[in-house]
Amino acid sequence: MPDWSSGTERLILESVDSTMAEAARRAVAGAAGPLWIMAREQVAARGRRGRVWENPVGNFAATLLMRPPESPVQAGLRSFTAALALYDALAGLSGRADLLTLKWPNDVLLAGGKVAGILLESAGQGGAMSHLAIGFGVNLAAAPPPEALEAGAFAPVSVLEATGVRVAPEVLLDALAAAFDGWEQRLAAYGFAPVRRAWLARAARLGETITARMARETLTGIFETVDETGALVLSTRDGRRVIPAADVFF
Amino acid sequence: MTKEIRESDVAFIEALAELLRRNDLSEIEVQRDYGKDDCLNVRVARQMAPAPAPVAVAVPATPAPAAQPVAVGTPSAAESDPALLPGAVTSPMVGTVYLQPEPGTPAFVKVGDQVKEGQTLLIIEAMKTMNQISSPRAGTVKRILVEDGSPAEYGAPLMIVE
Repeated sequence: MPDWSSGTERLILESVDSTMAEAARRAVAGAAGPLWIMAREQVAARGRRGRVWENPVGNFAATLLMRPPESPVQAGLRSFTAALALYDALAGLSGRADLLTLKWPNDVLLAGGKVAGILLESAGQGGAMSHLAIGFGVNLAAAPPPEALEAGAFAPVSVLEATGVRVAPEVLLDALAAAFDGWEQRLAAYGFAPVRRAWLARAARLGETITARMARETLTGIFETVDETGALVLSTRDGRRVIPAADVFF
Repeated sequence: MTKEIRESDVAFIEALAELLRRNDLSEIEVQRDYGKDDCLNVRVARQMAPAPAPVAVAVPATPAPAAQPVAVGTPSAAESDPALLPGAVTSPMVGTVYLQPEPGTPAFVKVGDQVKEGQTLLIIEAMKTMNQISSPRAGTVKRILVEDGSPAEYGAPLMIVE
C-alpha cells in the first residue's frame, strides 16, 4: 500500500466531468502534486484525441497530476512507467499475470483485450515541463458495449469477466499509486534502461508482425524493439523505422 | 522513398542549423545510417564573418546509395531556414503535430492571431503523450510552418510568433 502521508496526495470525487479536466484546473490553480484524483463517476470522460471513453459505474477513473523536473522529451517515458504500474497492480490484485501483456506504448491487454486506457498530457514552454497529467481508465467491473468501438479497435474486456475477480476502485488506486511510485523511483535513480527492459519483458508480439498506424501512413513490419527514447522500432521491407507516435494493431 | 522522409530530413538539417547558430559553431558534419540504402550525410556550415551566413548542405540521399555533396549557397540563412528567425518556436521533441485540440475543433491558433505568453499553439504527440507547446512570448502568429498530422523533428521550427 502506498504511504499516503509521504507527500503524494489523494482526492476521491463522487462525480466530475473528467479527472483529466479536474487535473488541468488544479494545475493552473497551482497544485504542487503529486496528486491522485479519482472519480466514481465521470460525466464527460474522454480518451486520446477527443475519443469518447465509456466509464460505467464500478470502473476505475483517476488522473495523477505531477510536476516532473525534466524537459518534455522525458514526459513520454511515463507512458511506460504508467503501463508497467497498471500491469503490476492488476497482476497483484487479480493473480493473473499470465493473462496480462503490454502494447506499445501504454496499452495494458488482459486476455488479449483492451482492459484500460492511459492518456498523458503535458504542458510546458521553452523546453521545460510545467505539469504532466496521467489519466487511467480501467474496466474493472464492465467493458463498454461493442457498438462504442471504432473499427479495428481491440475488443474491450473487464477484469471481472476475464478473471472473475471483483476489484474496488479504491483498492486499485492504492495498488496503482504504490506501483507507479516504485517505477518512478527506478526511473529517477537508473534512467529509462530498467523501465525499458521490464516493459519489453511484458510486451505482446515482440519479434512478430504488427501494424503501426500514423497520422499519414500505415506501416507493417516486425516489432523489433523499443529504443532508448521509447520510440517503436519496426523492421519493414523498406528498412528500419523508428516511430515516436502511432496506434499499434495486430 | 517518401515525401515524409524527405520532410523529416529537411527538419533534421534545420535542427542542425539551429544547433550551429545557438552554439556559435562554424560547421557540423553528420552521417546517419538507418539500415540498407538509407543514409544521410549532412554538412552544415556557416561563415563566422559578419557577412550573411551561407548554409552549405550535402543533400540527403534517400534512398540514393550515396550522398552527392552539393553546396547550396543562400544570401541569408534566415531566409531559407525559419529556425533562424528570431520569432521561431521550435519543437522540443520528435513527434506528431496536431494543430487542433481534437479532430473537428478549430485550430489552437491561426496566422494573424494575437497570442499571450504561455498560450497553447499546438500539440506534439510522442509515446501517446500529448505535449502542449505554448508560446514563449506575447505576439502575433506570423507563420505556421507545420501541417496537422505532420512529423516534427527535434529543434524543427513550428511557428513564427513575433
